[in-house]
Amino acid sequence: MGNRAEEDYNFVFKVVLIGESGVGKTNLLSRFTRNEFKQDSRTTIGVEFSTRTVTLGTAAIKAQIWDTAGLERYRAITSAYYRGAVGALLVFDLTKHQTYAVAERWLKELYDHAEATIVVMLVGNKSDLQQAREVPTEEARMFAENNGLLFLETSALDSTNVELAFQMVLKEILTKVSKQRQSSSRTNAITLGGAQAGQEQGPGEKRACCISL
Amino acid sequence: MAAENSKQFWKRSAKLPGSIQPVYGAQHPPLDPRLTKNFIKERSKVNTVPLKNKKASSFHEFARNTSDAWDIGDDEEEDFSSPSFQTLNSKVALATAAQVLENHSKLRVKPERSQSTTSDVPASYKVIKSSSDAQLSRNSNELRKCSWPGVPREVRPVTWRLLSGYLPANTERRKLTLQRKREEYFGFIEQYYDSRNEEHHQDTYRQIHIDIPRTNPLIPLFQQPLVQEIFERILFIWAIRHPASGYVQGINDLVTPFFVVFLSEYVEEDVENFDVTNLSQDMLRSIEADSFWCMSKLLDGIQDNYTFAQPGIQKKVKALEELVSRIDEQVHNHFRRYEVEYLQFAFRWMNNLLMRELPLRCTIRLWDTYQSEPEGFSHFHLYVCAAFLIKWRKEILDEEDFQGLLMLLQNLPTIHWGNEEIGLLLAEAYRLKYMFADAPNHYRR
Repeated sequence: MGNRAEEDYNFVFKVVLIGESGVGKTNLLSRFTRNEFKQDSRTTIGVEFSTRTVTLGTAAIKAQIWDTAGLERYRAITSAYYRGAVGALLVFDLTKHQTYAVAERWLKELYDHAEATIVVMLVGNKSDLQQAREVPTEEARMFAENNGLLFLETSALDSTNVELAFQMVLKEILTKVSKQRQSSSRTNAITLGGAQAGQEQGPGEKRACCISL
Repeated sequence: MAAENSKQFWKRSAKLPGSIQPVYGAQHPPLDPRLTKNFIKERSKVNTVPLKNKKASSFHEFARNTSDAWDIGDDEEEDFSSPSFQTLNSKVALATAAQVLENHSKLRVKPERSQSTTSDVPASYKVIKSSSDAQLSRNSNELRKCSWPGVPREVRPVTWRLLSGYLPANTERRKLTLQRKREEYFGFIEQYYDSRNEEHHQDTYRQIHIDIPRTNPLIPLFQQPLVQEIFERILFIWAIRHPASGYVQGINDLVTPFFVVFLSEYVEEDVENFDVTNLSQDMLRSIEADSFWCMSKLLDGIQDNYTFAQPGIQKKVKALEELVSRIDEQVHNHFRRYEVEYLQFAFRWMNNLLMRELPLRCTIRLWDTYQSEPEGFSHFHLYVCAAFLIKWRKEILDEEDFQGLLMLLQNLPTIHWGNEEIGLLLAEAYRLKYMFADAPNHYRR
C-alpha cells in the first residue's frame, strides 16, 4: 500500500490528543513534531494531523498524531478518529482545575470509541506556570494510577517532558505490539485489541495507520 | 457622478415620475413605524413652508432635486397611488412632478424630520446620495451582478451592508434602520452581556474568551484589547440568541471580514496594523453593531453547520465527495487508494468557509461574490471547495502516502494568493455550478 514507498520506518502508530479546549494540545503536537511553540496558535477545527518518525531501540516508528478540537460540539466528528488509535494523550491544563475535573468524561468517551487496550497517558500541561497551579501533582498521579494510565507533567512552552511523554507512550505501544506479535503469528495488521479489532483490519483493507511492513 | 446617474435614470426610464412599481425585496426589514408616523404627520401639517431651492430651471436639475422622492413614493405616497395615475399625460406628469418637488423641498427644510443623525448632513448631499441609491434599489440585481467580480474597496462597506440585506435599499430608511439596529444591538448588550458570568452562560463565555486571542493571532489589529472586547460581545450575544447552535469554534473567524471591511470605512492606510484607539466611540460602536448584524445574516443561511452533530457540514462534505468523484475521478481514486477521507480535510473548509485556507484579503474578495450569489455561503461554497481542491490536483497526485496527502491538504500554499487567484477559482466554481445545475447527471458514470 501507500507506505511501501517509504522504507524508513517499521511501524505506524496512530495516537490521538484529547482534552478540553485551550489546554495546549496543538502546542504539544507542534513541539513534538516540529519543535515549535506558538503563543497564540489558532483554534483547532475538527481534527488536524501531524507526523514524526522516532527510533526506539532498533525500531523506526512513525507516530501519526491526530490533534482533536476540544470543543464539545466537534465530538460527533472527532470521536470517529479514535477508531484504530493505539495511543492517546489525555491532556489537561494544570492551572485550570475544570480541565482536570472532566478527565473522567474524556476517558469514558475514549474507551467508547477506541480499543480497550489503547495506551493512555494523562498529561498535565503548562508546568511552566507553577505559581498558577490548581491541580496538585499527587492528585493527578493518583487518578492516573487508579485508572491504569501513564502520567507526566509537561510544558509545551519550555519543552519540559514533551519528548519524554510521546516516547513513553510509543514505547509502551511498541512493547504491547511486540508481545502480541510473538503470540499471534505473522499477522500484518498491528492492533492491540482482541479478535474484533483484528477482523476489522484484515489483510485486504489495512488502515494507513498501524501497519507493519 | 450622481448627476450622471440621474440623467441615465431619466433617459432610460420611460415611465413617468412617481412610478409605483414595488422595489423592495422581502429581505428588507419592514418600514420603521416611527418614520412612517412622523413623515405622514409632518406632510399633512406643513403646507406653507417657503421653498428654498425652487429653481428647477432645467430638466436635469429638476430630476436631481426630486429623484429621491421616488423612494418615498414607492411606499407611502398616496398622491401617486390613485388610479388616475395610470393614465397620466405629460401635463399631469409635470404637475405631479412639481408637486413632488414641492413636497420634497418641504421635507428637506423641515428640521425635525431628519432626526439627530441626519441633521448635520447638507441637504444637497442627501439628494445626491439618494439619487444614486434609487438606482441601486431598482437594480439590486444589477448590484449583485456588479459585485460578483469583486467590489472596489471604497464602496465595499455600503455594498456589503446592502447585499447582506442588513441595509435597506431605500435611502430614506437607511439612516433610521442603521440607527435602530445599532440601538437594538446595544440594547442586547445592556440587557444580556452581564449574564456572561452567570452559571448557565459561563461555559459559552469562557470558550469565547479563550478563542478570541487565537482568532487571528498573526494580525496586529486583533491583538488590541478594544478589538478583542468587541469580538467577545458580538459572539456572546449571537451565541445566547441562537441556543440551537450556541457558540461553535469557526464562528469567531466569520466576524473578522465584516469587522475589517466596516473598519476600512474609517481607515485609509493598512487596516491590519491600524490602532483602533484613534477612532471615536461612535465609530467603534457602528462597526461593532454592523459586524454583528451582518454576521447574523450570514449565519442565518448556514446555521445547520453549527447545530448538534453539524449536519450541514456532514451533508456538504458528502456532496463535495460526490462532486469530485464526477469531475476528477483521478483525484478521487487517489484519495481512496491512500484512504484519505474527505471529512479529514474538508470539515474545516466547510466549518470556516475556507478562511483557514486563504489569507484574509482573499476571504474578503471571496465574500464579495458569496454575497452576490444566491445562497453563496450555503451552496456556491461547495463548488468553490471543489474548484479549490482540483486546483491542487498535481500536488495531490504527486503525494504517494496518507500522511503526505493530509499534510499537504492541511497546509495548502496560498500565502501569496490575491484577487487574481480568487477570480480564477470563482470562475471555475461558476462553471462547475452551471454544469451541474443544467445537467445534474452529466458526469454520472
